[in-house]
Amino acid sequence: MDGPYSLKNFLERGWIHGAIPPALLVGLVILIELAAPGFLSGETLSLLFANTAVLFILATGVTFVILLGGIDLSIQAVASLASVVLAQLLPSYGLLAFPIAIATGFAFGLLSGVVHVRLKVPSFVATLATAGIVTGMALWISDGRAITIEEGGRANTMWINGTLLGIPVVVLLAAAVGLASFLGLRYTRFGRQSLAVGAGEPAAWAAGINVDRTKITAFAISGMLAAIAGVILASRLSSGSPSLANQLLLPAIAAVIVGGTAITGGLGGVARTAVGALIISLVRIGMTFVGVNIFAENIVFGAVLIIAVAITIDRSKIPVIK
Amino acid sequence: MLQASAVTKSFPGVKALKDINIEVRPNEVVGLIGENGAGKSTLMRVLAGTLRHDSGSLTLDGEELKLRNARDAARHGIGMVFQEQSLLLNMSVAENIYLGQEDRFIRFGIVNWKAMNAAARRQLAKIGVDIDVTARTSELSFAARQMVELAKALTLEESVDRPLVILLDEPTSVLTAADIEVLFERVRALKSRASFVFVSHRLDEVLAISDRVYTMKDGEVVAEHRASEVSAPELHKVMVGRGLQAEYYRETRQGEPRSEVMVEAKGLGLAGAYHSIDLTIHAGEIVGIAGVVGSGREELVRTIGGYMPQTEGTLEIAGEPVRFSSPEQAVKKSIGSVPRERRIEGLVMFLSIAENITLADLKSVMRHGAINYRMERELASDWIKRLRIKATGPDVACRKLSGGNQQKVVLARWMTAGSRILILDHPTRGLDVGAKEEVYDLIRDLSEQGVAILLISDTLEETIGLSHRVLVMRDGEITARYEAKPGAKPDQVDLVKAMV
Repeated sequence: MDGPYSLKNFLERGWIHGAIPPALLVGLVILIELAAPGFLSGETLSLLFANTAVLFILATGVTFVILLGGIDLSIQAVASLASVVLAQLLPSYGLLAFPIAIATGFAFGLLSGVVHVRLKVPSFVATLATAGIVTGMALWISDGRAITIEEGGRANTMWINGTLLGIPVVVLLAAAVGLASFLGLRYTRFGRQSLAVGAGEPAAWAAGINVDRTKITAFAISGMLAAIAGVILASRLSSGSPSLANQLLLPAIAAVIVGGTAITGGLGGVARTAVGALIISLVRIGMTFVGVNIFAENIVFGAVLIIAVAITIDRSKIPVIK
Repeated sequence: MLQASAVTKSFPGVKALKDINIEVRPNEVVGLIGENGAGKSTLMRVLAGTLRHDSGSLTLDGEELKLRNARDAARHGIGMVFQEQSLLLNMSVAENIYLGQEDRFIRFGIVNWKAMNAAARRQLAKIGVDIDVTARTSELSFAARQMVELAKALTLEESVDRPLVILLDEPTSVLTAADIEVLFERVRALKSRASFVFVSHRLDEVLAISDRVYTMKDGEVVAEHRASEVSAPELHKVMVGRGLQAEYYRETRQGEPRSEVMVEAKGLGLAGAYHSIDLTIHAGEIVGIAGVVGSGREELVRTIGGYMPQTEGTLEIAGEPVRFSSPEQAVKKSIGSVPRERRIEGLVMFLSIAENITLADLKSVMRHGAINYRMERELASDWIKRLRIKATGPDVACRKLSGGNQQKVVLARWMTAGSRILILDHPTRGLDVGAKEEVYDLIRDLSEQGVAILLISDTLEETIGLSHRVLVMRDGEITARYEAKPGAKPDQVDLVKAMV
């Protein structure tokens, strides 16, 4: 019974919790395949991945923050702003518009992080406020309208909508972001320190970890990945708008939690978020099958998020929930 | 009569209470003594209903008690005055006294503050103290707060129609001698209406106030005496329970410190905590600081560990002036801390042994910019073997280890990081005797390797036994310095005189 791979140890390190989301994913796939045979073909799967890519990138960014025990509520606003910046700058700057839009997201992530850490504002307040500022800027820049990416600009966004070796480029981008994030969390000092800060901040601090820098880095990454998600979304829709990503905050956070990352921090990772994002996508597909009105989907995601947190939260770790 | 029969309580890795049998008779003051970690506070918490015991039973006048929480205990007339004071500092004295009992003063949904204040005044009058019940509790002295706590416990009289049992958990640890005398007077006067359980590790006090004394050691009650028939030195012997004092602290292994100065403080001060501290620690030297709560010694060691920067004076580490604003900076100067709150500051309890060991020095297991998991596990396995850490492997989460083994993991972390200065803040708190001896061995090993060690501890015996030199602090100042060579250790009584 003992040893690193014993059942007891699995339970201790949360592996049972970790095994539920993949089982749920497999179950959903089987369910949909039974309801609509042919779902498991290469073509529909490739479409599923392509449709999950933006959600996954957003969710991956916020995973870094949730692992630390914080939350980033600004991701949808940052993604929308990035789409506006991209659409606005494409005609004059060409491909250079991409790094500028992404850097904008990085900068606002950094801002949230600095506000949270230096001014000691709780992360949900800091990022809520950042979201307001960012949305305001997006509205201002775009004059409150959606900006269509015209013919000239579209030449520079076409590559995102194409395929490479038969795989949609968005899927490859999501995979690259996912892989880099996975390796970053597992093999770098920053990744390990994030885990330590999330699991026990006072002890991590006492062990000489620069907690502030770790947190600011996580928020900056979250902002940057939100912007990447935003520019991909803009390229796919050929439009930038201050409300482009408006319905994505809830599913992104739901994806992280449903995937098995603890809302309290210290446990989880990008692989889990990938599973969670696929589950959310499948639930969305399932809903259209069952005939649920598409406008009602956030009702389902809200309920899913509440249930997932209620089931998984480790109350022995936090006596008081505020 | 309140009785505990065969009560046991275990925490992960520790048997905190083993087969406890005690009784508290009406109108009696019962003393409960023992070293830190003997189980006194655990037993108090079981009696007060804030901790459930594993087996055995509690009875009150022959009737079995099932205490699920402090409210249950209160219903049966058992009240507790806490070691860490439980008053809410932002509320008035009256609000604190009737916290949770506001119902009695509510009419039509509105609290009748006049009635509450009047009732609070009557409570305080009962114990003969004059405190403004409308004052904010934060404005009161510690001694006055203690009286408010006592008055709060005594409100049970109004709702329970049997003699109360009041548990006093180390009430004197923050009081001056004069305040202690006042408290004792009140307790003696109240004896006709209640019985008391008085917990302390100050033996003279316990003998002065108690009728009977139980002595606890390693989770067991090892003796029961009538206070009139036993002396403090006799009790001390029972409580500590070992003859070979010198060997317990490995004094034969106490070598000569080296000449290299690792820590030097000159006129060091932190506003509101300590001032004018001159202190030198050499490589291989163990310097112990004795002092009561509020003496400033806790803050002093935390300054050197990087937690609280000094506000005046200079601090030099290996000859270089420093002012740390975070432990990170101290760690970079090769300083490691073994904090008092092991489960909060010492270890990330949800991470594994391996992850905790490499936390301060991840570089040692990184190759080509990436953490090498195989190397990390090997390093941890090596420490598990060398320090005889009882665990099934390097992947076990630290929260599953016993206190002694957790402490070894903390020390392994600083050895991995190559720390040359160690701050030991109550390094053996909550450990049983065997685990303590292993930690003492490790401390001697580190000292032999030339690590400079600053020690503060729960017991004077430990401070004196381990240290090369002992400093005594009172009210933020160093009041005495003693050499503590093996065979010529300073006397505890002298130290206590300088402490209070």
